[in-house]
Amino acid sequence: MDPARRLGPAQIGVLTQLVVATVLLGGIYALISVGLTLIFGIMRVVNFAHGEFLMLGMYLAFWAFVAFTADPYFVVVVAIPLFFVVGLVVYGLVMRGVIHASHNVQIFTTVGLSTVLQNVALVAWSGDFRYVRPWHLSTVLRAGSTIFNLTQVVASLIAVALTLTLVAFMKWTHAGRVMRATAQDRDAATLMGIDTDRVYRLTFAIGIAAVGAAGVLVAPLYSVYPTAGLQFVLLSYVVVVLGGLGDMLGAMIGSLIVAAVEVAGSYLFGAAWKEIFYFILFILVLGFRPAGLFGQRGAGTLGV
Amino acid sequence: MFGLAALTPILVRDAYFLDSLVLILLWGALSAAWNVAGGYAGQVSIGHASFFGIGAYSAALTVTRFGGGPWFGMLVGIVISIGAGFIIGFLSNRLKGPYFALSTIAFSQVLLIGVSRWRGFTSGAEGIPVPFRPGFATLGLGHVGWVYMALAVALVCYAVEVYLERSRVGYQLAGVREDEDAAEALGIPTRRLKVGAVTLSAALTSVCGSLWAQYVGFVDPTYVFSVDLSVRFALNTIIGGMGTALGPFLGSILITSLETYLRATFAGVKAGFTGIYLIIYGTALILVVRFVPDGLAGIAARVRVRRAHA
Repeated sequence: MDPARRLGPAQIGVLTQLVVATVLLGGIYALISVGLTLIFGIMRVVNFAHGEFLMLGMYLAFWAFVAFTADPYFVVVVAIPLFFVVGLVVYGLVMRGVIHASHNVQIFTTVGLSTVLQNVALVAWSGDFRYVRPWHLSTVLRAGSTIFNLTQVVASLIAVALTLTLVAFMKWTHAGRVMRATAQDRDAATLMGIDTDRVYRLTFAIGIAAVGAAGVLVAPLYSVYPTAGLQFVLLSYVVVVLGGLGDMLGAMIGSLIVAAVEVAGSYLFGAAWKEIFYFILFILVLGFRPAGLFGQRGAGTLGV
Repeated sequence: MFGLAALTPILVRDAYFLDSLVLILLWGALSAAWNVAGGYAGQVSIGHASFFGIGAYSAALTVTRFGGGPWFGMLVGIVISIGAGFIIGFLSNRLKGPYFALSTIAFSQVLLIGVSRWRGFTSGAEGIPVPFRPGFATLGLGHVGWVYMALAVALVCYAVEVYLERSRVGYQLAGVREDEDAAEALGIPTRRLKVGAVTLSAALTSVCGSLWAQYVGFVDPTYVFSVDLSVRFALNTIIGGMGTALGPFLGSILITSLETYLRATFAGVKAGFTGIYLIIYGTALILVVRFVPDGLAGIAARVRVRRAHA
């Protein structure tokens, strides 16, 4: 789907429209990416199955809508604790054993996880495209010459609120400080009596909860199918790399940049090619600023 | 082992069995090609389906759009893959580990989208049926012919692997894989070697892709550029043993037989086969990298060492 076009044609104030579209899209991308950057930064693991958890969130929204006509906005409240538990379980079953293993082992573990989750969804729910159509999807908000869709506005607001909560959590709570300390220096944190295994478990669970919630929120805006996560994965990698590994504020800025590239690219060349823009951006960033736009501590441990 | 494969068509005439053999050899060759970059040079790619797809589409398009022969199409595929492999190989100089893997996935995704969207030329997501014209020049072979064709490619890939195990270049690559900085300090041209290994791997993968298109008779973008396919090359190699010459073939025997068996078992289940098969496949990948990271070849080597000590 093309968010820039979905917002409707605007003859006047095209620029305002594009800026608003960018901000709305950026807010959602931030929530998708923030879990990835958290896991990346603290556990030093690239979670190749990140998109699949987003897909599971979308299915949760779909089934809740089918079964109870539950609005995705309310399902988010259930999704966060649910995906937190999913994260704990997956960490215990899969991630825990490879946290100190080599990059290759970690890559293939999460790639394997991604394959398993995609196909569990395929077997359980078939490959059909599903749609979540709550009433607010057809509600249009107007402000001057700009037009937005209510679903996208609220989804974006909730996403931004959740992202900011997470940033605040990391900054001001004890658990957040412990997590940041582990990210900075795993060994020193252990020496200070920090139980790193608990930190990783918590990190993974929070990361999965964030992306699961994002999946629920985006479900009405995109079609739901077993490989739906793939289209978001590439962009969240771009966001994370742009913002710097493990840098949550960086991820928010990165999301805005990616959203701007997508909105401008879709407006100028058509939405069909948006992945190509991501890819070009990705290669440019990796080629010229692999440690992110703002530089990043600890980038060396990921082999950049 | 290869000798046995060569004798089989003389002894067995069962088409189903010969088909399995062709697939085992082709998947083995593809995994061996992946092994050149992933195993020997340590450049782990999850986007090798890119080169497979380039090979398959080059052959299919040359035949259907330009009226050329599949051999010429294969050559076109090799040339394009060398170009693409060069770019990916160049990226590997900047990017390591997860970043390199990411950029290879991204590359295959872009090809998938590009080929799906460029309907006028590639027929888009519908795919292209490749016509069957009997004869060696048009690669319209019978089952027995295909066994020997697949065997020839498998042997070429195997020979490349053996070369990389025994030659000076191979030892230099092992140096790059184990400790790039140390290798660089010893005066090994690490950058050139990595680009070379990835490019060679890309070209071999492309050849297999072209053959596959002719053998199966149909190419479509969602299959030939899929991440699952890229993972498959890696999975065979990891199960068999990364950086060993026989490993990819051992892995292919195991995984391809498993696929054939499951396909027969779940044939009646609606939309179930691919899903169930891939669930098992992903689980196998997770378990193998965790518990037997050096694969079957590694187990064999350990058994041999124990025997020698006993």
